[in-house]
Amino acid sequence: MSLSCNALGWSVKEKTIVSDATLKVRTGEMLGLVGPNGSGKSSLLRMLAGIQKPSSGRVCLGETPMSNMRQRDIARKLALVEQHANTEDRITVREAVELGRTPFLTALRTWRSEDDAIVASALAAVDLKGFEDRLWHTLSGGERQRVQIARALAQAPDILLLDEPTNHLDIGHQLAILHLVRGLPVTSVIALHDLNQALLCDRICVMEAGRIVALGAPSEILTEARLRDTFGVCGHFMTDPFDGTAIIRFHSARTG
Amino acid sequence: MTKHLIAPGVMALVLTSTAVTAQQTSYPLTIANCGHTLTFEGPPENTVALGQSTTELLYLLGLGDTVSGTAVWFNPVLPQFEELNDGIERLADNDPSFESVVNKKPDLVTVMYEWHVGPEGIVGTREMFHDVGVPTYVMPTECEKKDNLVGLDGTRSELFSTDQLYKSIAQLSEIYDVQDRGAALIEDLKASESKAIEKASGLSLPDGTSGLFWFSSAEIDTNPFVAGQKGVPAYMMDKLGVENVVTSDEEWPSVGWETLAKADPTFIVIAEMDRRRFPADDIEKKREFLMNDPVAREMAAVKKGRIITIDAHAMSPTVRAIYALDQVADALAGYDLK
Amino acid sequence: MTVIDRQVSRSVSGRAWHWAVIAPPVLLIALMAGTALGETPIPWDVVAQVLANKMFGADYPVDRIDEGIVWNYRFARAVVAACCGAGLALSGVVLQALLRNALADPYLLGISAGASSGAVAVTVMGIGAGAVSLSVGAFAGAIFAFGFVAMLAHAAGGGAGLRAAGVIVLAGIAGSQLFSALTAFMIAKSASAEQARGIMFWLMGNLSGVRWSDTISVIPATLIGLFACLANVRALDAFTFGADSAASLGIAVRRVQVGLIGVAALVTAVMVSVTGSIGFVGLVIPHAMRRIVGTRHSALIPASALAGAVFLIAADVISRMIIPGQVLPIGVVTALVGAPVFALILIGRRTV
Repeated sequence: MSLSCNALGWSVKEKTIVSDATLKVRTGEMLGLVGPNGSGKSSLLRMLAGIQKPSSGRVCLGETPMSNMRQRDIARKLALVEQHANTEDRITVREAVELGRTPFLTALRTWRSEDDAIVASALAAVDLKGFEDRLWHTLSGGERQRVQIARALAQAPDILLLDEPTNHLDIGHQLAILHLVRGLPVTSVIALHDLNQALLCDRICVMEAGRIVALGAPSEILTEARLRDTFGVCGHFMTDPFDGTAIIRFHSARTG
Repeated sequence: MTKHLIAPGVMALVLTSTAVTAQQTSYPLTIANCGHTLTFEGPPENTVALGQSTTELLYLLGLGDTVSGTAVWFNPVLPQFEELNDGIERLADNDPSFESVVNKKPDLVTVMYEWHVGPEGIVGTREMFHDVGVPTYVMPTECEKKDNLVGLDGTRSELFSTDQLYKSIAQLSEIYDVQDRGAALIEDLKASESKAIEKASGLSLPDGTSGLFWFSSAEIDTNPFVAGQKGVPAYMMDKLGVENVVTSDEEWPSVGWETLAKADPTFIVIAEMDRRRFPADDIEKKREFLMNDPVAREMAAVKKGRIITIDAHAMSPTVRAIYALDQVADALAGYDLK
Repeated sequence: MTVIDRQVSRSVSGRAWHWAVIAPPVLLIALMAGTALGETPIPWDVVAQVLANKMFGADYPVDRIDEGIVWNYRFARAVVAACCGAGLALSGVVLQALLRNALADPYLLGISAGASSGAVAVTVMGIGAGAVSLSVGAFAGAIFAFGFVAMLAHAAGGGAGLRAAGVIVLAGIAGSQLFSALTAFMIAKSASAEQARGIMFWLMGNLSGVRWSDTISVIPATLIGLFACLANVRALDAFTFGADSAASLGIAVRRVQVGLIGVAALVTAVMVSVTGSIGFVGLVIPHAMRRIVGTRHSALIPASALAGAVFLIAADVISRMIIPGQVLPIGVVTALVGAPVFALILIGRRTV
C-alpha cells in the first residue's frame, strides 16, 4: 500500500502553512520528515493521515483519493501516532491499546478473540507486556509514547505515521522507539528533529516554510549546504569510528 | 362578579356626615408607624398611593383629589370611583420605580406592601424616601404582627384582625384631618362586619367543615399558592367557624395538590383577578383545573359544586375582605352541609 | 481473569445482557419507592392496589383521591423524574466525552439560560399572548440559545480537535451570560418582585406540576438519547485521546460531534422545558459513575442513565418530604447533594 500526495496545500485565512507538497511514500520504506520548527511537518502529517482536509491538492491511499474514502476505511490501513496525545480519563494500558481495534468493530462485527491476540502482540511489540493493567496517568513519557505506538499497531496498519515520537524522551527511550519503528514490517513516515536520528531512515524529506525542498537518501540530501540553508547551522559529516556509519557534527548556529 | 360592592350608603354617609361632631386634628401631628415616627405639619395635599387598598381607602375617605399617582393594582376600582380613578395617573400596574414616585413630589406616600416600600422594598426602603424628604405611611395591616422577611409573602405572628384595618382608617383620617369621615367609615364597616359575623355564626356549620382559599399557581398543574393560617382568608374562616386545610403560617404558602386533596376541604374559594401573569390567574382556568385534574375533580367540594368566587383583593387586608366574608357566608348558607 | 472470561465480559452482547438484567429491577424498585413515598402517607398496600388496577386491570376498591394521587401524580412524576435524570446524565456523559472537558454539563451550552429567557418571555413579558405555555417558551428559548452558541462556536472557527472543544465551551459561557442578562433585563423591565420569585422557583427545577401528558415528550427524548449514545459507544471511547485521535481511529469526528451534541442539546431542552433546570445531575452522575464502572462507554452509558434516573427519583422524594406540607424545589436537593459529591470526586482525582 503506497501513500502519496499531489500539489498538497493548506492555508488558514491568509497564512499558508503547507504549499505544493508532492510526495510518494514507497511501500515498506521508512521516510524521515525533517525541517525547522514551523516548517509544516505536523500539518503535512495530519493531511497525510486524513485528519486535516487540505485546501488544495489531494492525498491518495494506493490509487484511491482519501477524500473519497470513509474515515473508517482510512483508519483500517493507516495509523497516526500523535505528538501530544494525553487524557485525563482513568484508562488502563490495555484499554488504550484496545482503542486501536475501533475501525474494525461494528454492531455485527463485535470483539473477538483475534482482537485480543492483536492487542497482545501490539503490547509485546513495544515491550509493554505486564503493563496491561497500569493506569495511563501513572506511566512515564516513554511508556506513554509506547502505548500510543501499540495503539497504532493494534490498527494493524499498512502505513504508520509518527509525529516526533522521540520528543521529550531520554536518549535510551529515543533510540528504543526509533529501532522499534525501524524493525516494524510497515511503511512509515516519521517526523524527527534530531538529524542524526533521521540518518536511520531510508529516505529523508526536508521541509522549509511549508514546502518540500529536498527528498532522497540521507547521504544525498543532508549536505552541509542544506544544513546551512535550511537549518541555519554549520555542520559536517564524519564517520563513526565505532560502526562506520555517518554522523553529523554541528559546530555553531548561524555562521555567516 | 361585582356583587360585593361597598354598601351604597357608605359614600353618602361619609360625604354628608357634617352632622357627626367633627374632631379637628391639631398639627404638628406625630404618629408611630411600623417602626418609624412621622410628623405632619398639616394635612398632605399631594399623595402617591402604592397599592390598590390604600388608594381605595383614600377614595373612601373623600381624599381622591389629593392623590396624584397610584400603582400596584389587582382588581377594577370600586365602581363608584371609576371616574375619579380614571383621572389619576397610574404610575405602574405593578411596581413603579423609585424616581417615578419621587418625581410626583408627594408630601406623603401611602404603602400597601412592605415588599414595595420596606426593609427590602423593591421600589425603595423607607429611609430612601425619607432621605429625599418624602414621608411614607405603611398600612398597619402590613407591618403589625407580621414579619415580611419570612416566607415568600411574609408571615404573621397572629391571626389577621380587622382592628388593624380600622386603625389604618383612623390614622389616615387623622393625618388628613378628616376624622369625622374616618369615624363614619369605621362605624359603617364595623356594622357590616358584625352583620356578616352574625350571619356566619348563625350558619352553625357541622363540625369538621373545612375550607381552602386558592389565590393562583405559577403553572396550572403545579403547587398552588393558597391561604395560610394567619392571613385574611384565615380571619374569614375563623369567623365562619371553619377549619383551614392549609397548616402553614405563611401568608401564601405553595402546597401540593396531593396534600390539599387528601385534606379534602368542604368548600373551595377561588380568587378572581385582572392580573394575567400565570394561567391560573384566570378564574376559568382555575375552574377548568378543578373539574379536569384527575385528583382535584375527586374532591368533595368540586364534586358537589361548592366553589365560591371572590375578588383576589378581598383576600388581602382591605375593606373588601369584610364584604367577602358576607359573600362567603351567603354561599355556605346555600349548601346542604348536614 | 481467564481469557474466556474476558471475552465474555467484553463482547457487546454480553454487556448489553448484563445491563438488561440489572437495570429493570433497580429502576422498578426506584419507581415504586417514588410512587409510595410522598407529601401525604398512603399505605403500601393501597399503592400496590392502585398500580394493580391501572396496570393489570385488577379491580381493588380504592379511594378515588388516593388512586389519582398514586397514579396521576406520583407515578407520572416518578417516571418523568427517571427520564429526566437519565437524559441529563447521558447528556453530561456525551458532552464530557466529546468536549474533553471535565466541567462540561448539559447546561454549558446555554440551554438552561435560554430556557429561562424563554420562560420569562412567556410568563413575564406575555409573549405568545397566553397561547404559548411556559414549557413551550422554555423549549424554544433553549433551542434558540443552543443555536446561538453553536453559531458563535462555528463563527469563531475551531476545526476539529481540542481547539474546537475549547471554542464551544467559551461560546457556551458567552451564550449563557448573554441569555442570563436577557432574563434579568426582562424581569427588571416588566416583572414585579413577586413574579421574579415565581420564576426563580421554576428555575431551580420543579416537578410538582408534572403529569402523564409530560411523558409524551420526556420518554421519547430519553429513548432517543439512550439509543444515540449506545449506537456511538465506540466513537465516544475513541475520543479518549481527543478528537484528532478519534479521527485517526476512523471516527467521522464532525458528524459524531454535531450529531451527539445536537441530541444532548435536544434532550436537555426537552427536560428543562418540563421540569426547569435541575442542576448537578448532568455534571456529577457521569463523574461518579466513571469512578465505579470505569471510563469505557459501553458500561458508562447504561450506568449513568440508570444512576441518573434513580438519583432524580430519590431527590424528588426528598424534596417532597423534607418540609412537611410544602415542596422544596428539586434543584435545591440535587445541588445540596451534588455539590459535596462533586467536591469529593475532585479531591479524589488528585490523590489517585
